[in-house]
Amino acid sequence: MAQVLLKDLNKKYDEVHAVKDVNLHIRDKEFIVLVGPSGCGKSTTLRMVAGLEEITAGEIAIGDRVVNDLPPKDRDIAMVFQNYALYPHMTVYDNMAFGLKMRKFPKPEIQKRVKDAAEILGIQDLLKRKPRQLSGGQRQRVAVGRAIVRHPQVFLFDEPLSNLDAKLRVQMRVELKRLHDRLETTAIYVTHDQVEAMTLGDRVVVMKDGWIQQVGEPLELYGKPTNRFVAGFIGSPAMNFAEVTITEANGALTAESSGFRVLVPPARAGNLKAHKGQRVTLGIRPEDLHIATGADPAGYTFDTVVDVVEPLGSEILLDVKSGSNSLVARVEPTVRVKVHEGIRLGLNPDRLHFFDMTTEKAI
Amino acid sequence: MVTAYLLLAPATILLLGVLAYPVGWEAWISLTDLSPLNVRGPRFVGLQNYRAMLAEPFFWRAVAVTAVYFAVTTAAKLALGLAMALLLLRPSRLRPLVFLAVFLPWAYPGGVSVVAWYWMLNPPLITSYSVLAGSMKYAVDGLLGGGAWAFLSVALFNVWRGGSFTAVFLLAGLNAIPTELFEYAALETHTAWQQLRHVTLPLLRPFLALAVFLSFTTAFADLANVWMLTGGRVIFPVIGTYAYWLGIRNGAIGEAAAWSLSLVPLLAAALVGLFRWFDPREERTA
Repeated sequence: MAQVLLKDLNKKYDEVHAVKDVNLHIRDKEFIVLVGPSGCGKSTTLRMVAGLEEITAGEIAIGDRVVNDLPPKDRDIAMVFQNYALYPHMTVYDNMAFGLKMRKFPKPEIQKRVKDAAEILGIQDLLKRKPRQLSGGQRQRVAVGRAIVRHPQVFLFDEPLSNLDAKLRVQMRVELKRLHDRLETTAIYVTHDQVEAMTLGDRVVVMKDGWIQQVGEPLELYGKPTNRFVAGFIGSPAMNFAEVTITEANGALTAESSGFRVLVPPARAGNLKAHKGQRVTLGIRPEDLHIATGADPAGYTFDTVVDVVEPLGSEILLDVKSGSNSLVARVEPTVRVKVHEGIRLGLNPDRLHFFDMTTEKAI
Repeated sequence: MVTAYLLLAPATILLLGVLAYPVGWEAWISLTDLSPLNVRGPRFVGLQNYRAMLAEPFFWRAVAVTAVYFAVTTAAKLALGLAMALLLLRPSRLRPLVFLAVFLPWAYPGGVSVVAWYWMLNPPLITSYSVLAGSMKYAVDGLLGGGAWAFLSVALFNVWRGGSFTAVFLLAGLNAIPTELFEYAALETHTAWQQLRHVTLPLLRPFLALAVFLSFTTAFADLANVWMLTGGRVIFPVIGTYAYWLGIRNGAIGEAAAWSLSLVPLLAAALVGLFRWFDPREERTA
């Protein structure tokens, strides 16, 4: 158990500046997820914590120790790799016992730890098998078990579920979460899958181009993204964006786009006043759009034409057009609309997002 | 069905023509007294050639020398090759130099390098170096017995040339192993030796087995290099050179065929053993 501190962490390869001034305080027992598109620096950051990549500048501390110059084996971490990295020439038992054997643990202790971990993961019956006799999910369990037996201060996961099929991925996700609740070991988890990030993380770190974009609890990231990138990256289907011009009419601010015109909620007017006459980006989550009814307050509805209907069963996604804007609305499964049909949509005024066009920061 | 056999035919004919026919012919003449000195033509003599061979002390000596030659050169080549392959695996400023060192002996024409080695070990001109080379020869021969210097020089040449091949071969093997397996080892092992013994060597096993087998066949079939380096003298014969002596110099072609075929059971056993080793049954039936 330990906290992990990343201070002004930088990684430069010859031409590429992969990780830029990363500052992060990972609390003891916390499950933190680094998420972002490929090339965002999340894996490099993790590998620097592991000691597999040299640190160009900055500092990494695990517990009370600065580990910059410690070799990986002395950092008291255990890592789970995307391709499992199981040794094909060893049985499951030997794979799980490997790290302990190399550290010269007494045999009974090794046996006990492997047995305990195998029990937790439900792989007791596989201990005598070789990795090639296992399915992808079983291999993943062994890879996790190999980390558990070490009783490390920190678990490092590098996209551990990426090689599993969708169904298994969901199942293993739940198991990993349960496992963390049980073991309470600090964990750093890297993924490109925002759903994994949201479901697993106590806190989520969104990265892009080597920079941390935002750190926060999953719902905080979802509800209050600090910039347009985070807003678009978190959530599926993604947030709708439309370019709007802020104008003032009759003392009220409106956001006007090529196809629609909506009122700026009074609560947001304070911040947006400074942008009067300017173009800003309006963000609306698909679930914050609905088929307008008489109950919708005036000024928060607009006309659209249905382009595509995607019935998912539990909900229906409507791809609609409004002027030059394409929007996705998530509506009740009972709604019946046809392609090319004109519908009026209402939006939830409390949940609108505005972003500066140049800085892309939330307004 | 017919199409299947037709499609197999070219490969079958090639194998029969190139492999089965010469080997079969050699097996046949090993049972005859074929020799250019025999004007009446070859006569079937049964196992006579083999009996003569087994009764010949020279044969057993040649077998022993060949076996030692194989063991010594293989061990040296594997050690050297592995060291060079591991050096080449990690990027460093020295890499181009090591690459050059590794590829040069292998890329250089065999005949030319043999002559260079021959002159190095038996200097053709009288210089202070030739005195040194001469005293080295006497020192080695005096210590290990007559012919030891010749043996050593042949082994050295084999290692020099074969080591580079082994290095390239094992480097390909190392590159075929997923990097995470080494990264995991870096996280979990405490010494370089642990990593070599528990991770690198076992993962390289198929490649090591094949390298041993290639070394086996080259050592046992080695004729040209031994012949050229020793100037064709049978001071310290391997089976190959002795068979050559018998067949070409003495004209006892039938007997020479028996000698060269004596290697077949050994090679077959080695092949089976090595394949077992790198592809064990319990892993195959997984």
